[in-house]
Amino acid sequence: MTDAEVTACLVRGRAGDEKAILDIFHYMYPHVTRLVHANLPARESAEDLVQQVCMKVMANLHQFSGKVPFLHWVSRIAVNTCLNQIRHEKRRPELRLADLSEDEVMVVEHLATTANELDSADQVGAAELVAKLLDGLRPADRILMKLLYLEGNTIEEISSMTGWSRTMIKVRAYRARAQLRRRYLLLMKEKP
Amino acid sequence: MNTINDQLNRLFRAARATPEGLAMPPFGLETRALAAWRESVLTGAGVPFWSGALLFRGLILAGLVMLVSLWPVINQTSNTDPFAEYFQLADSTVQVDNTP
Repeated sequence: MTDAEVTACLVRGRAGDEKAILDIFHYMYPHVTRLVHANLPARESAEDLVQQVCMKVMANLHQFSGKVPFLHWVSRIAVNTCLNQIRHEKRRPELRLADLSEDEVMVVEHLATTANELDSADQVGAAELVAKLLDGLRPADRILMKLLYLEGNTIEEISSMTGWSRTMIKVRAYRARAQLRRRYLLLMKEKP
Repeated sequence: MNTINDQLNRLFRAARATPEGLAMPPFGLETRALAAWRESVLTGAGVPFWSGALLFRGLILAGLVMLVSLWPVINQTSNTDPFAEYFQLADSTVQVDNTP
């Protein structure tokens, strides 16, 4: 669905066509699910949060003006809801090599000993290692790193999705990246 | 060069999630989503008036207005002149007596 189609559905919805509103709902639902699952720690109940975000989007659909892409507008609601959920969680302690699984240790080995891209066998270990490295960051920094490095969004896209200014994103990304490097270096130093 | 930055970049590239399939909403969510839409249409705005954030801001504003309106009274009662009230009472009595 394109943004023009979303706007057309919204116009029809305001005229009483509820099927058009349901089309919008089904369009944005997978996007909300992916965002919430990606940005919420595994121990949290993502399903409740997905439903909370969906209800907020539907209740505020009137406020969508079309100035930003529709999915960016939805992302902003999802990101802020996730941030409110995880804002008060306690910071994780430093990551040690002993905290890693065998797959994750293999990934660290491969990264250190070769300059080649990791192969598909290391994908699961890489995803888990990234999750543990990101776990030690502040919630907003964690979400930013995921949007920037895991989902490949540009600074402009992230600004549109979160409402943060470009300057704030760059400063936050620089600081978060430095913290990631420090956590990763600690692991490398422990490597035999 | 296999710097820490290179390693982190390769790690992130390997960890990028594959695109998910179409997720289906749980039973009943569609109905509730439509209900939320209908409610927003009825209120005429996207946000219900009992929205937590709006209510909180409204309460703070109301408190500030009350404080500002009560300030002259508080200021007046802290006047140390022991005869101030009597003069005011006498003055108001005189004014009442003068009305036709």
